[in-house]
Amino acid sequence: MTRFQKKNLFYKVYTWLPILALFISVFNEFDFNYLNIEYFSFNFPFILIFYFALKAYQRFDYLLVFLAGLFNDTVVGLPLGISSLSYILICIFATYLRNITISPNLIKDWFYFLFIISFINSINFSILFLFFSYELDITLFIVNNFFTFLFYIIFSIFFKRYLKSLDD
Amino acid sequence: MAESRDDFIIAIRSAFLKKSTKQKFSLLTLVFFSIFIISLSSLNLKAITVTKSVIKEIVYRSSFIISIPENFIKSSYLNLIEYANFYKEYKITKEELDQLKSENISTEIIKSENDELKSLIDGYTVTSNKILAKVIVDHESPFLRSIIINKGSKEKLKIGTNIYDRSYLVGRVIEVNYTNSRVLLLTDLNSNIPVSITPGNVQAIVIGNGDKKGEIKYIKNDLINKIEDKGIAYTSGTGSIFKSGIPVGTVDLKDENKKILINFYSDFTQLKYVFAEIDELISTPLETEQNNQIKVSSNTEQIKLDLISDELQILKDSNTKFLEENQELNTLSNELIKQIEILKAENDFQKNVIQQHNLDQEELEFLRLNLIYSSKCQSKKLFSTGFKVGTPEYKECIMRKGKISD
Repeated sequence: MTRFQKKNLFYKVYTWLPILALFISVFNEFDFNYLNIEYFSFNFPFILIFYFALKAYQRFDYLLVFLAGLFNDTVVGLPLGISSLSYILICIFATYLRNITISPNLIKDWFYFLFIISFINSINFSILFLFFSYELDITLFIVNNFFTFLFYIIFSIFFKRYLKSLDD
Repeated sequence: MAESRDDFIIAIRSAFLKKSTKQKFSLLTLVFFSIFIISLSSLNLKAITVTKSVIKEIVYRSSFIISIPENFIKSSYLNLIEYANFYKEYKITKEELDQLKSENISTEIIKSENDELKSLIDGYTVTSNKILAKVIVDHESPFLRSIIINKGSKEKLKIGTNIYDRSYLVGRVIEVNYTNSRVLLLTDLNSNIPVSITPGNVQAIVIGNGDKKGEIKYIKNDLINKIEDKGIAYTSGTGSIFKSGIPVGTVDLKDENKKILINFYSDFTQLKYVFAEIDELISTPLETEQNNQIKVSSNTEQIKLDLISDELQILKDSNTKFLEENQELNTLSNELIKQIEILKAENDFQKNVIQQHNLDQEELEFLRLNLIYSSKCQSKKLFSTGFKVGTPEYKECIMRKGKISD
C-alpha cells in the first residue's frame, strides 16, 4: 500500500483536505438540488465542522471556519456573520462534548449532533425572522435539519477512514 | 455534586477559552467577532457597504470559478434529459414559432402606436434597453431563491431593475455591486408581485412559495370566483415595482390545499442568461415639441413602414411557398393525365379483344348450326327453295335454324 511521505506536498494538501472541502462546499453549496427532489437539502459544512472539531481539532483552524462562514453568508445572501456564528457555536459544542467524553460513542455523538443543529438552526431562524424580517419557511429548516442529521452517519464513515489513513 | 459542577465548569471554560496549539483565537473571541459583524451588517454605514461590496465582488467571482465542475455535471445531466425530448419539442416549437411570427408583427404595430400616444400624454418617452447578463451564481438555496448576475452599477443597473428570461419576468435586483448584482427571484418567499389576472381583470398580489410556484394572496373574497384555471397573470404596474403588462404565469386551481397558485412561465432552475431592463427617461422640451412630434410621428411611420414591409416579405414568402405547391400539383396532375391515357388505350385494346371474341362466338354458332341445317338451306336442282352456299341469305337461313323467309 502506498503511503504518503511526510513533508511531501501531497501529504500537506491531504492534511488540509477538510478545510478545502469546507471552502469548496461554502462556495459551491453542493446539496444535489438539481435532482429536483422536493424539500431535499442538507448542510454539509455542519457535518464536516462538527466531526473535525470533535475528532481532529488539532488539524482544524477555527479562524478559517469563521471565514468560511462569512463566505457562506455572502454566497447565500444572508446577513454577514450568521453562518460564522453557527459554525463557531458548533465548534464550541463539539469541544465541550470532547472534554466531557471519556469513551467516545458514534450513536451518542450522532444524537448530540441532532440537538446542536436543531438549536443552531433555531437561533438562525429567530435572528433572521426577528432582527432582519426575513420570510422563511420553517418546513425547509426542519427538513434540512433532518437530512443533515441522517447524513452525519454516512459522512462520519468517510471521515473516519480519512483520519485513519492520515494516522497511518 | 460539587465535583460534577466543577467538571462542567472546567469543560465549558475549556471549550470557550482554551486555545489549542494551532488556534490563533479562542472560540469565545470568534463568537464575539461574529456577533459584532452581524450588528454591523444591520447598519447602513457607507464604509460597511463598500467593504461588503468588495467582499461580495471577490466571493461571487470565486464562487463562480469553484462552481464550474458542479455546473458542468449539472448541465450534462440536464442536457441528457433534454436530448430525450428534443425532436418532439422541436416540432412543437417550430409550429409555435410560425404562429408567433405572424402575431409579433401586429404586436409591434400596437407597441409603436402605444409609444406614440404615451409620448403625447407624458411629454417623455421611456427607452428600455435590455442588456444580456450571465447568471454567475445560482445555488438554488432552499431558504433564499436568488441568483447573482454579472452586470452591476457599471452597466447602470440599480435596485429594483426588472430581470427577464426572454420576455417573461423572473425577478428584480435587490443588491447592486460594481460588476455584479443579486436578483431576488419571483419564487422567493420575500417576493411580492402586483398582478392583473385575465379574464376578469382581477387585481392581486403574487407571493413566491419558496419552491417553484407563486401563490395568490391579498385578493377580495368576492373576486376569487372570477379567477379561472389557466388564466393569465401579468404585472399590473401597481406600486411601480414592476413595469405593467409583463407576462408572469398562468393560474393553477388544481392545488390540493385549495390555494390559488401561479405556474411561472420561466423555469428558474434553468436560468443561464437573463435580460436586465435599463430604463431611461428622455424628456421632450416644449419648444421643440412640434418638431419632436413630427419626428416621433415620422419615426413611427418609419417603424410602421418597416413592419408593413416585413409583413410583405412574409406574404411574399408564403406566396412563393404556394407557387411551389402549385407547381408540384401541376406536375402531379400531368402525371395523372398520362396514366388516364394509358388506361384508355388499355381499355380500347380490351374492347377489341372482346369484340373479336364475340365474332368468333358468332362464327362458331354458325358452323354448329350449319352442320345441322345446311340441308334445309342449300339450293337443290329440282326444287329451287334454298340458297347458294356462301351467300348472306344462306347464312341468315342457317342462323334462323333452316327457316326460309318469304
